[in-house]
Amino acid sequence: MNYLIFIITGILGAWLTFFLSERLKQGPVRSSAILSLIVSLFFYCFPDLCNAYLTKNIPFVFIGSTFIGMVSPLSRGNYIRLAVAASLFGIIYVNKAHFFEGYGGALGALAFIALLSSMGFSVIISRSPRLKKGIVKARKKVSRQKK
Amino acid sequence: MVLTVLLIQIAFLTTIVKEEYETGNFVAILSMLLLILTLFFGYRYIDLHHTKYEYEKISVIVWVPVGAVICYLSNVYGGLGSVLSAGITGTVASFVPQINKESPYLEKLPAAIYCGVFVGMSSSEIIPSIGFVTAAGLVAGVFLLLSKNLFLGVGGKLGTVAFGGVIIVSLIYGLAT
Repeated sequence: MNYLIFIITGILGAWLTFFLSERLKQGPVRSSAILSLIVSLFFYCFPDLCNAYLTKNIPFVFIGSTFIGMVSPLSRGNYIRLAVAASLFGIIYVNKAHFFEGYGGALGALAFIALLSSMGFSVIISRSPRLKKGIVKARKKVSRQKK
Repeated sequence: MVLTVLLIQIAFLTTIVKEEYETGNFVAILSMLLLILTLFFGYRYIDLHHTKYEYEKISVIVWVPVGAVICYLSNVYGGLGSVLSAGITGTVASFVPQINKESPYLEKLPAAIYCGVFVGMSSSEIIPSIGFVTAAGLVAGVFLLLSKNLFLGVGGKLGTVAFGGVIIVSLIYGLAT
């Protein structure tokens, strides 16, 4: 359950930051900082709303995922890739090593790994004709079902 | 610089694999290995850097330790917690260019201060004093100076730079004591 909550939090954080930064032209730093401020302030004011584990970790997952949302569209940033990267981030966060706990920048390093991996994943897909064909087929099927 | 970042990432993922191996979570280990593979593809095939190598100005870099100290003070001494402190410092820093909208210098400060903020997010067990946080901020600043045209527009670059600064200073501190 925690996995799902962290993944949803991550996707929301990345998407909202990207939207605020690129669509509303607020810039990556302000978008990430303001959103993190809102979320952390919420959990600071209402510490008993969720269980202790979630109250402690949701702000961390959120700020980490805002780093993913700070990506520029010129660096292949789009909503699908951000969702994949944010999901990866949530999964790595749950399994993250305790060795680096308390080190500043660890979340940024995690976000960087997740984002670069998702970019690498899309490279694998684009270079494999079989996978590409499968995705095109699935898309066609979905669009037919919609009609 | 790219090699340093790669080493940091490998060290990070290796410690996760090691801990998961000790607990016997082989699904997590497989996921991490898959992640390393996709990371390799990311490095190999994505053009993340400018061909021309440039350095960031020192007048911009000096703001990294400033951001680190402000965030650390509100985090450790103010008791606000690391995320709230980072949010407050980052939000204030993002409005600095509003002082003079035409200044290219002020435009660069939010990123430098926000990079410092990540250093200041460290816990007091890892970074025990203001001197330590300033040193970590300075090392992170040097990394930022060197990585101006590297990993352009990739989210998490500032955090990785800060992480490198904290790790190196704590390593030196650990070796010295």
